[in-house]
Formats: sequence, structure tokens, C-alpha cells
Amino acid sequence: MSTFVESIGPLKDEALAAIVAAADLSQLEQARAAFLGSHGKFVAIMKQMGTLPKEEKPLAGKAINQGKAEIEAALAQRKSDLELKAALPKEPLDFTLPGRRRTLGKNHPLTQATDDIVKIFRKLGFVVADGPEIEDEYHCFDALNTPADHPARDTQDTFYTQSANGAGNNQRLLLRTHTSSVQIRVMKSQPPPVRVIVPGRVYRRDNADATHNPTFQQIEGLYVDKNVTVGDLKGTVAFVFRELLGEEVKLRFRPHYFSYTEPSFEIDFSSALVRKMGKDWLEIAGCGMVHPKVFENVGYDPEVWTGWAFGFGIERIAMIRYGINDIRLFYENDARFLAQF
Amino acid sequence: MKVTINWLRRYVDISWTPEELRERLTMLGVEVESMRKLGGEFEGVVVAQVLTADKHPNADKLSVCRVNDGKTERQIVCGAKNFKPGDKVPLALPGCTMPTPPGTPPFTIKVGKLRGVESQGMMCSAQELGLSEDASGLLILPTDAIVGQSLAQHLGRVSGDVVYDLEITPNRPDLNSVIGIARELSALSGNPLKLPAVPERFEPAEAPSIATVAGQVAVRLEDPELCPRYTARMVRGVKVGPSPDWLKQDLEKVGIRSISNVVDVTNYVMLEIGQPLHAFDYHLLAVAPEAKTPVIVVRRAQEGEKFTTLDGKERSLTHDMLVIADETKPVALAGVMGGLNSEIKDTTQDVLIESACFKPQTIRLASKKLELRSDASYRYERGSDIDICDWASRRAAQLILETAGGQVASGVVDAYPKRHEPKQITLRYARTNQLLGLEIAPAQQREYLNRLELPLDGTPGESSFSVRIPAFRVDLKGEIDLVEEIARLYGVDRIPSRVPCAQPGTNPFDAVYDQIAEARRLLTGSGLMEIQGQTLLPQTAVAHLPSQLVPLQNPLSGDMNVLRPSLLPGLLEVLQRNVNQKQTDLALFEMGRVFTATGNAPREERRLGIALTGQRNPLFWSGGERDAKFDIHDLKGLLEEFFAHFGLRGLTFVRRPEPAGLYLESANISLGKQSLGEIGLANPMLAKKLDLRDSVVLAELNLDLLLARRNPAKSFKPLPQYPAIRRDVAMLVEETVTHEAVLNAVKQAKPSHLETVELFDVFRGKNIPSGQKSLAYAFTYRSLDKTLTDAEASAAHEKVVRQFKEQLKAVLREG
Repeated sequence: MSTFVESIGPLKDEALAAIVAAADLSQLEQARAAFLGSHGKFVAIMKQMGTLPKEEKPLAGKAINQGKAEIEAALAQRKSDLELKAALPKEPLDFTLPGRRRTLGKNHPLTQATDDIVKIFRKLGFVVADGPEIEDEYHCFDALNTPADHPARDTQDTFYTQSANGAGNNQRLLLRTHTSSVQIRVMKSQPPPVRVIVPGRVYRRDNADATHNPTFQQIEGLYVDKNVTVGDLKGTVAFVFRELLGEEVKLRFRPHYFSYTEPSFEIDFSSALVRKMGKDWLEIAGCGMVHPKVFENVGYDPEVWTGWAFGFGIERIAMIRYGINDIRLFYENDARFLAQF
Repeated sequence: MKVTINWLRRYVDISWTPEELRERLTMLGVEVESMRKLGGEFEGVVVAQVLTADKHPNADKLSVCRVNDGKTERQIVCGAKNFKPGDKVPLALPGCTMPTPPGTPPFTIKVGKLRGVESQGMMCSAQELGLSEDASGLLILPTDAIVGQSLAQHLGRVSGDVVYDLEITPNRPDLNSVIGIARELSALSGNPLKLPAVPERFEPAEAPSIATVAGQVAVRLEDPELCPRYTARMVRGVKVGPSPDWLKQDLEKVGIRSISNVVDVTNYVMLEIGQPLHAFDYHLLAVAPEAKTPVIVVRRAQEGEKFTTLDGKERSLTHDMLVIADETKPVALAGVMGGLNSEIKDTTQDVLIESACFKPQTIRLASKKLELRSDASYRYERGSDIDICDWASRRAAQLILETAGGQVASGVVDAYPKRHEPKQITLRYARTNQLLGLEIAPAQQREYLNRLELPLDGTPGESSFSVRIPAFRVDLKGEIDLVEEIARLYGVDRIPSRVPCAQPGTNPFDAVYDQIAEARRLLTGSGLMEIQGQTLLPQTAVAHLPSQLVPLQNPLSGDMNVLRPSLLPGLLEVLQRNVNQKQTDLALFEMGRVFTATGNAPREERRLGIALTGQRNPLFWSGGERDAKFDIHDLKGLLEEFFAHFGLRGLTFVRRPEPAGLYLESANISLGKQSLGEIGLANPMLAKKLDLRDSVVLAELNLDLLLARRNPAKSFKPLPQYPAIRRDVAMLVEETVTHEAVLNAVKQAKPSHLETVELFDVFRGKNIPSGQKSLAYAFTYRSLDKTLTDAEASAAHEKVVRQFKEQLKAVLREG
């Protein structure tokens, strides 16, 4: 009966060939039924096992089990191959087609610039402070040591509101001309040391043109502690502008005049960008050591505490960074403009 | 203010190049706004001396010379024969452009080879320089010509100059003068300041005919507070005429038109020392009846007094202005401008020189009120040097003598009732070092101030010293100001930088800043673009808003005359601008302050405004949703998502029966009893007016309140362990039944194990009676501690269904 065992191999090969030949899932099912179905050829041999003499059974059983396992494995493999083939789209995908997009919004470029500046100051332990945009003359001018007849107070340069000041004093109300007014509010509300930055809108009575808008934005830094020096001011400013405008930026401090700082400086910077504009230096900020009079006005002892303040225009920073040539673009909010940043 | 380098050089030696000078001035705090080089005659031609002359190796007619140009030795190839070593000749340096006959191209000297030998310039003939027709050989200069000097200077011709336009800070009026700038340069360089020699007194040649000034004019100060000093000096017998060239050129280079010798002198001295001067025609002063001599009266103008200034305009004066008058009429508007009636004319013979000091505020006020600014008012407004009045007057007299002849009457009338006492300021050495972060030695500190002409007052002490403050330094008020002077002269660029070590600051707003940034992040993540609008709006744009406006007292124009009471008008304006530019699909937000008038001070409030219009989705090439436009549900959903992520729960939307302002339909958004804002459909009539074609949906929220009511606390809830059971309900209800009413009914039914209720369909139309709608809800039931049975879920759900039938009169739809 050696022929029985010998017949298993060819039958298995026949089954495997049928499986490979199946072109789709239904042909594969036919192939499976033809061999492993209840009337299948392979099942038929399995049924013959019982008729074999006892001594042949182990060898034949082993061969049948092996054969069946092989066929089943081939079926499973072929099935998954054919399923994958069925899942393939009829046409190849065009991966160059534009996708179905979900719009993401963007922060306004001035917000982006402000956030970047705030981040840099925060690395140095500064926190953000805030104050009102409608101010009184005391916080905007008097407390900052601005002389009573200083031209900055003129109605020519500063917007005054028609509303009365309800605080009971005779202070005229105005739209703050600088964020420096917040220096006074912060120092009056807390004892030194102070490390704050103040971003915000300020107002000057300038007609709108490429470099002016009656509304614009500033950021102010104030630092008060014991033993604060001009050296600290220079070091901080240098750190901030290198972080903001790149390592290659060069800075210079020019003596200048502001009523609330002494000594006062203007800061110019130079970079490849500035040179491309055909200039050696571009003015970027004003700063100085807090004037002792200002400390006296807020009740800090100028003999104990020293400090510096500096401020600059956010539009100017954004204009330099992005090469924007007209400040009015920021406030026109053309979507094509906003989408660029 | 403009100065020229040559003018500065009269008072201080300057060894810097024009570029270096620009840098030095700027770093001293005198910012150079622009620098302009003026070409002179023979620009680039210098006096040079021939050292050697040898035969050219390749050309018989040429020689190769070594020439000293004052700075270096040059090799020059030359064709002339009329010179010998030792001769001084004009040498045109490379870069120099030679005069050429009209119509021929300019000829520029370059370094080049002549027959194989390099020539670094050209020695010139008189013809080549355009000086004469003599082309026979080089122009041989006299032996005393100075090697290295420019040829122009040697010949006494106009030489080149450099004009600096300076920005003078308002605290330093003393720098509005050439000598003021020279003083700074002297302090910086250590080179002495050389002031012009001005006679202390003028001795008239014919004493009897020229009496003293005092005998010919008197001065009366009616308000010494407004005019603390007034000097009058007189020059008789002048001949008014054109100024000499040097005077004309000096003035014209700095932008002042030359008028006549006498007037030019007053301008020259003003520019030189900073003291404004005025010259009158003495004979145009009226003499009071029974008086022998005129009196100059410095008095307040009468209210409404008429006066015609030099520019020919009649002006109406007020009592807070100061005039210079005789007994009958004003002759000058003090410190601002002279009068037409006392102007110096060609016929003027006797000139009265006014050199006075006025209170800056008075001059500023007059100048502002009359909108009349002059070089004099500019200087007076900032504060003039009361001590220099007499010097400036003598200087002017000296120069009038020189340029217009005449004789100076001896003496001066000097009305100076209260002498200026120089202030004294003490500086502690340690204070300087404390503020600058440096160690500057005491002697060095004293030296810096001394160079600025701040003389020591008394003997310097161990730890401090005092200086006297001259009248011209109005800016020096306290110790701190002296520290700045030392910083300037030491050089700010030399102060070493120090980065402060981080130490946390504190401010309550710091956290708020981050919350606002977080809100912005959520909104941009939802697809909104941030805008920043104008704070100042035209009143017309906010007219239909129910708000108490804060108007400006002094707007620039009607386009910007109120503070925005809402962000929405600005948003609508931005929509309009973009739609006009064919940008029709817009989802925008703004965060900013709005302003409303209240009984007391105006109130500021931070708000969030949102506007959507146009297509909801970016363009896509397939799908049914692709043409969908933004509607109110987009905005509602956006807000719901925003609130959920921002930590705001329990908001209610209540429809307004009568929407106001910009809205067609709107709802009030509240949190408990507090109103947070409004959401709605923009009034289409308004949108149409703005050329907005698609419908616009808007929302505006009080951001301050939003931040205050935020509860961002997060805590973990265990994930469900047991399966959920879903039950759906579809029902017909009246149109008036809102989603909120359905939720309330569910709440009242108190079904156990209810996890979520979700609305998944709203349907009107086919098979639905009019005035009704079909609502379909999905209910999810789940227990946290066991597997819920079907019966338990059904029992709970039954309660809900019963509540719907009773409370909402709902009719359940089957299948």
C-alpha cells in the first residue's frame, strides 16, 4: 500500500497549484472546496486513512497532516494577497493633487513680534505688565519728569479725550503717548525690585503715512534693583536684540535726551539688512537710567535703588524683520498681507 | 542745525576726517542726520614739491619724478621741462576731475602707466587748471607755498567744505551754535576752545560826535520776569550793502539767505554763539514828546494789538505776548520776529543792536499762537544764555564795523535787574561709578567736567566735588546730569556690558498675558486670522451702536474722531476692504480694547470680536460641501469649541427679541447672570452698504470677563469599564420648542445612567406638518460599576420619552 502515501504528495501539489491559479476570491473558494470541502479530494484521502493497516497509519497520518497544513497556509496567504489586490483603487492615486485643506489662522505680525520680544525678556526673568490706554497727565507726563510746558503735551502732538476725569482731580485725560506711563503705575503698586515689560498701543497725533500711524505699539522694559548700572542696560539690550534680530547684529548707544531717564541713550543697530538699505546704522530704541526724580515721584529711594528703562516700537521691529515698507499695512489687514507671516 | 567743518575749525583744531567727525559728534549725543560735502575750486589739487626728476627709460620727452604731496611721496610721469627738483607745483591727485572746455567729457586723473612707468597723479600747468592760457609748462608756485595745502587755500579761492545737519536735543539749547558744538569737540579732543577776540569796549575815533549809547537811547523793562535782560548797543554811520563773500558763503552753506551786511552779521553771530540778535534802524524809533531820546520799552502786548511782522503779515497780539516797542508802537515781536516798521533798509545809517534774554515759555506761546517760527524763536523757546548777551552784542558791533563800516557808540545800555547766579552742583565720585558700573578716578571725573567749562567750585573733597554751572548749560540741574556728562566724554561705547542674572519679577498681568495668548492660539487653530484694527474711528461708523462714545477733543480729522466702542465696525471695515480686493472668504478675529464713557472716567474693556463671511472651506475639487458658506452655526460651533477648550462651561445663548445695532438676529451670550457678549447675523442692509455679498456672522465677547470666569482646572476621570447602551428618539415638536427646552425636559426626567444626549437630526418639510419640526436625539446610557441591562436602560429611557410627551407635547416618530 505504499501507493497511498505516495499519492498524498501529488494531490497536495495539485491543490497548491489550484490555489496559486485562483485569480480572485471566488475562484479561491472553489479551489478550497475542491480539496478541503466536505466532498473535496483531500478530505476524501483523509477519510481513507481508516482503511489503512495499523502499521502504515503513523506515516500516512503525518504526511496528510503536513499536506493539509501546507494547503491551508497557502490558502490563507493567497486569500490575503487577493484581498489586498481587491482593495487597490481602480485608478492609481495622483499624489500631486491638492489636498482637502483645513484652514489654520495666524497671529497678526505685530502680535508675533510682540510675543517674540516677550519671550526673550522672560528668559531674563521679566514679567509682563499692563496699564490703561486712556491716561491722565500725571502718569503720562508729570510723574515722568516731563516739564509742564513740554511740547509733547501740546494738543498738536497728543490726543485728549472729551470725557471728564472722574477721579476728582483736574488732570486732563489723554491717549497715552508711550507705554512709559505704566512704569509709574507698576512702581506705585509694588516695592522694588522690579522687572517688567509692557507691550501696548500708544497714540500720537501724526497723520498716517508710510512711517506713521496715529495708533502704534511699543514695548517698554523697566528694571529696578540695587546696583543696576549702564553696563546692565547695555548687556540686556544687546542680549534682546541679538535674540531678536540675529547674532550678527551690532549695536551702538548714543547719548540722547529723555526727561525720565538720565543718562539717556538712543540705540542704533547695524546688520546686513541695514546695509542693504544703504545705511550704516538704523535707530531702533531709546533707553536710559531711570531719573532720580522719577524714583522720588513713585516713592523709591534713588540712593538705594537704581534702574533702567528702555522702549521701542513694535512696528519698526516687524518692518525690519519682514522688510515691510509701509506701517499702514499692519492696520489695513489685507488677508494677503496677513497670510504672509 | 547746520554747521560746517571749516566754521568749526575757527574755534577748535579738528584732526579727524569728515567721516570721523560725524561719528564723534553722533557718539557725543549730537546726532548727525546728514553730511554733505561741498566741492570747492580745484578739488583734489594740492601744493606739492618735486624731489627728484629723472629721464623716462622709454621716452625722451618725458621725465619720472618723485614728488611730496604733504602726506606721502608719489611717482609722477611728466612731459614739462620748466621745473627742477625743489620747485613747488600744483599736483592733481588720482580721483581729481580736471576742468574741461564745455561740451567735452570730464577728465578724471587715474593711476596709470605712461610708456610703461606708473604715474600716480598729474602735475599741472596754469592752462590745465583753467587759470590762464599759459600751457608752456607747469605752474611754478612761490617758494613759500605750503606743501600739502589745497591749491584753493593757497590761492585764496573757495575751498571745499562739509556741511553737517545736526539733531539737537531740546535739553541742549547751547548746541544750537557753532561755538557750542566746538566746545563739545574741544572737551572731547582736549584741544583748546579758541573764541574770537572781541573788544571789551569800542573807543570812538571822534568822541564828540559819537556820544555814548546811554545818551541816545533808554531801555525800560516793564515785566522783568518775561525779559530778564535787555542790552542795546549802537553803530552809527554804517553803509548798508551786500555782505562780503566770506559772510555770504558761511550763511548760505548752512541754509541762510544773505540779505545785507548788517542783517547778515546778526544772523552770523546768532549761529556762531546761539544768541539771537535784532538790528533796528535807530531813526525809526519814535521819540516821546518832550523827550530827547527814544526809549525802548519791553512790555506785554495789549489784547488785540495789531502788528505787522517783517514777513509783511499783520498779526493780532494777545496780552501774554511780549513786544519791543517805542513810546508809540511795537517795533518787534520779542524773540520771534522784527517789525516791518523798524526794518534795516539800504538807507539805514544808525543801527541799534538788541541782544536780550526772554522767558522761553513766553516765546513758545507767541510762536505757537501766531504759527510763526523763526531761528530766533527756536532758540529762545529752548532757553538762551543770559550771560552771553553782552558778548554777542559786542561781537555783532565788531563785525558790523568790519563789514559795513561806521562807528560804535561807546558803552551799552544793559537792563539786567537781577543778575544770574551760577548754580553749583556737587557730584559724588562714587555715584558716577555706581551708575555707570565703572571705576573712573576722581581726577579724571573732574577733568571731564573742566573740559566742558564747568569750573570747580571750591576745593574738591575726598568723596565729592562741586562745579559751577554756566548759564548756557540749562540742562544741568542735578548730580545725575553730571554723571551723564562724564559718560559722554568717557565714551558710552567703552562702558562694558553686563547681562543681568535672571531673577523672577512679579506682576499680576503676566498670567493674563498668557491666557490671552492661549485664547489666540485656540482661535487661530480654529481657522481664524487675527487682525489689528484702528482704535480711532469716524463717528459715522459707530453711529448705530448703542454705546456711550468717548470722542477726542482734538482729532486729526473726522475719519478718526472717536475711540472705538466695539471691535465690530473695525472688523466690518476689514471685511469690506478685503472683499473689494476680491478676497471674499474671510474668518477674522481681533482682540483689543474698546472704550465707553461712563459717569466718571471712560471705561476700557478688552474684547474679542469675530466675523465670518464667504466660503466655509478652502477650495477643493470634489465633494458636496465645497460651496458651503459660513453661517451662524459655524460661528456657534466655533465658540462652543473655544469655550470648551478655554475652560468656560455653562454658557447660555438667549435670542434677543429685538436685535439692535449691527444685527439682524442675535443672541445674548451669558454665564450665569453675567452677560459675556453677543452673537448674530449681521444686518444685510448694512452688509450691502459695505459691498459684502455673502452673509456675515458676527460675535463680540467681553474678554476681560471671559478671562475672569475661566476655570481651566483639569482632573482625571477613570475611563468607563462597562459597555454603553444607545437609544434614539425621533419626535415631532412645535417650532417654538428649542434644543434647550429639550435638554431641560431631559434634566427634569432625571433618567439614571444617562451619559450623553446628542442631537443628530433636525428636519422640516416632507411629511412634517408646517409649524413643526422633527428632532432626532441619541441617548447613551452607561453604568460606571456594572454592565447595564437592556431593561435598566429601557426603564431610564422611558422616563425621558414620557417627559417629552408631557412637557413638549412631542409626537414620537416610529422607525
